Amino acid sequence: MSEKTLLKGNIAIAQAALKCGCSCYFGYPITPQTEIGEYLSLKMQESGLGYVCAESEIGAINMALGASSTGAKVMASSSSCAVSLMQEALSYACSDELPIVLVNVMRAGPGQGYIYPSQGDYNQSVTGGGNGDYRIIVLSPSNVQECIDLTYRAFYLARKYRNPVIILLDGLLGQMSEAVEFDDNKYDEINCSNWTLEGAKNRPSRKIHSLEPSSNKLNNHIKKMFEKYSIIKEKEADWEEYLTDDANIIVTAFSTMSRQAKALCNYYRRKGLKMGLFRPKTLWPFPQKRLAELSKKADLIIDIEMNMGQMLKDVELSVLGNSKIEFIGKPVGDFMKIDELVSRTDEILRRTDVSLSHS
Amino acid sequence: MSYIKIDNSKCKSCYLCIDVCPHKLIKKSKIIGKTGEYTVEFEDNENKCIACASCAYMCPDNAICEVYKNE
Amino acid sequence: MLVYRTPKTIKENSTFTFCPGCDHGIAVKLVANVLDELNLRDETIAVASSGCSVFLYNFLDVDCIEAPHGRACAVATGIKRAMRAQKKENFVFTYQGDGDFASIGLGESLHSALRGENITAICINNTNYGMTGGQLGPTTVLGQVTTTSPLGRNKEYHGFPIKTAEHIALSDGTSFSARVALYDIKNIMNAKKIIKKAFEYQKKGLGFAFVEILSSCPTNWKLTPVESHNKIKNELTKIYPLGIFKDVLNE
Repeated sequence: MSEKTLLKGNIAIAQAALKCGCSCYFGYPITPQTEIGEYLSLKMQESGLGYVCAESEIGAINMALGASSTGAKVMASSSSCAVSLMQEALSYACSDELPIVLVNVMRAGPGQGYIYPSQGDYNQSVTGGGNGDYRIIVLSPSNVQECIDLTYRAFYLARKYRNPVIILLDGLLGQMSEAVEFDDNKYDEINCSNWTLEGAKNRPSRKIHSLEPSSNKLNNHIKKMFEKYSIIKEKEADWEEYLTDDANIIVTAFSTMSRQAKALCNYYRRKGLKMGLFRPKTLWPFPQKRLAELSKKADLIIDIEMNMGQMLKDVELSVLGNSKIEFIGKPVGDFMKIDELVSRTDEILRRTDVSLSHS
Repeated sequence: MSYIKIDNSKCKSCYLCIDVCPHKLIKKSKIIGKTGEYTVEFEDNENKCIACASCAYMCPDNAICEVYKNE
Repeated sequence: MLVYRTPKTIKENSTFTFCPGCDHGIAVKLVANVLDELNLRDETIAVASSGCSVFLYNFLDVDCIEAPHGRACAVATGIKRAMRAQKKENFVFTYQGDGDFASIGLGESLHSALRGENITAICINNTNYGMTGGQLGPTTVLGQVTTTSPLGRNKEYHGFPIKTAEHIALSDGTSFSARVALYDIKNIMNAKKIIKKAFEYQKKGLGFAFVEILSSCPTNWKLTPVESHNKIKNELTKIYPLGIFKDVLNE
């Protein structure tokens, strides 16, 4: 354990990336993630690492694509509307099976939206904005310490499964400072030397491509990708539970919103309600099985998001009618405060009668 | 005598070699190639080939794959 | 005595997928020739692009990655920076069409040149989008009939074509920019010399090196391969002059 330091989410991610050996970063400024690129610009230049102030996000993500093909640990970062520009290359990276870590510090949308806190990119990250059948591993931290831990994990998973990984957090967390410590990176180093491009010295030449004119080969390639995805689904789903043991009301939320949801649980516990929190740390794979189990014991699920209900779809697919589902959301603006959450939850509890049967 | 080697399985019958040979030693053959057209053949009865390799450099499909020079 | 053989860097038993008489074949062979001569095979990472040259990785016996359409110079930038960060010997080049390099990818291409990215880019200019059947592209010349300019390229209606090599030459990061053609042996041998220079400039660490190759597209031009070469010689070189537009070692 090292000593505690006060760090912003964005800087914590940048430092964690360096700690796990990230040797290339490509980016383009956009609020609220610009500090990542600013921080790394000096550190990487000083260490002789690869850093490019790219001409666009399209340029940045394609540089990441090229760099990762050499086996280098690569990170790019951006936000919402600019991550939209990267979707083409992410689709290529999935088919090419290239490990890229992409940080998306969300702002509000659609379109340019604004720099308000928002969680509007759940769908973009989880279901993908690019073409074709592919999946991206999506990790979502809820505090600055987790920004560090999940950055370590992102580099590990990207290389282990040869797939892009998105770290998805809201702008509030990117900009928020908390006391953190840097544990040693506990993940194994993954050997990539059997597929990387670095010149074909003493071996046959290699090719990395997504184009495949043989429909048979293309079918097989995609099937192989999906076999990999089913292993990821089986092994890598991760979540946090808070006071769920006896809960008959389960609140679901991700990233910073889950912290408000925790406060909400505490508030209603004091009032005698058995409320608990279920927070996915991996948005893909979504921890569907565990939420399904919890929902069997629950009367009510309340999904809280800073959007119009994007994770809600995965919650519904997990719960599958086991219990009622209600949604509290707000796409843009001030982060939903506890007062607002309480009044909207009270309204739900009155309407659904859940509070009466269990308080 | 100098000569060239032609791999007819690669010839696409573009005939750029016929055009480029300074001594006109390449002509259409009687063999139909992959594009359904006649491929080419090398005929040098008077030992005119100077192994300049122009045909080989011009051939876009590596059908003219080797050139030998008489020593 | 063997005085010529198919370059070693061309994969054995590989067959080019270009149309009959297409200059792409000559260009790929010249690239392979120069890789052989400079003994670069073991350290090369090639970047293929979208379009007629998309199967480059099936022809060349070097490590190769396919870039999304237009992004070859960005992908090459990433490779170069990553190899440098890992302190590994390397040689990186892109092989692109004019649509890839100078239309959809102009941003990535020009900014790689402006940064002086130490890579080499080869751009095949055949004045149309060949792979998709001959549409108007950034290099389609005024008056040229394509499937999307059926009445000929009109400057008021379609705008002007780009002189890529001249534009790239204007960038301070460019070490070398030239335009060559392949319509006769003299020009083919000159093109080989120029490609070699553009490869050597990267090895010397001089910055972005660029070669635009005026190439035939007999299928879409609806001409024979020989007629296509005559068209390049008599018409296209008047619009796209051959020559070296920038050479940092000769200024």
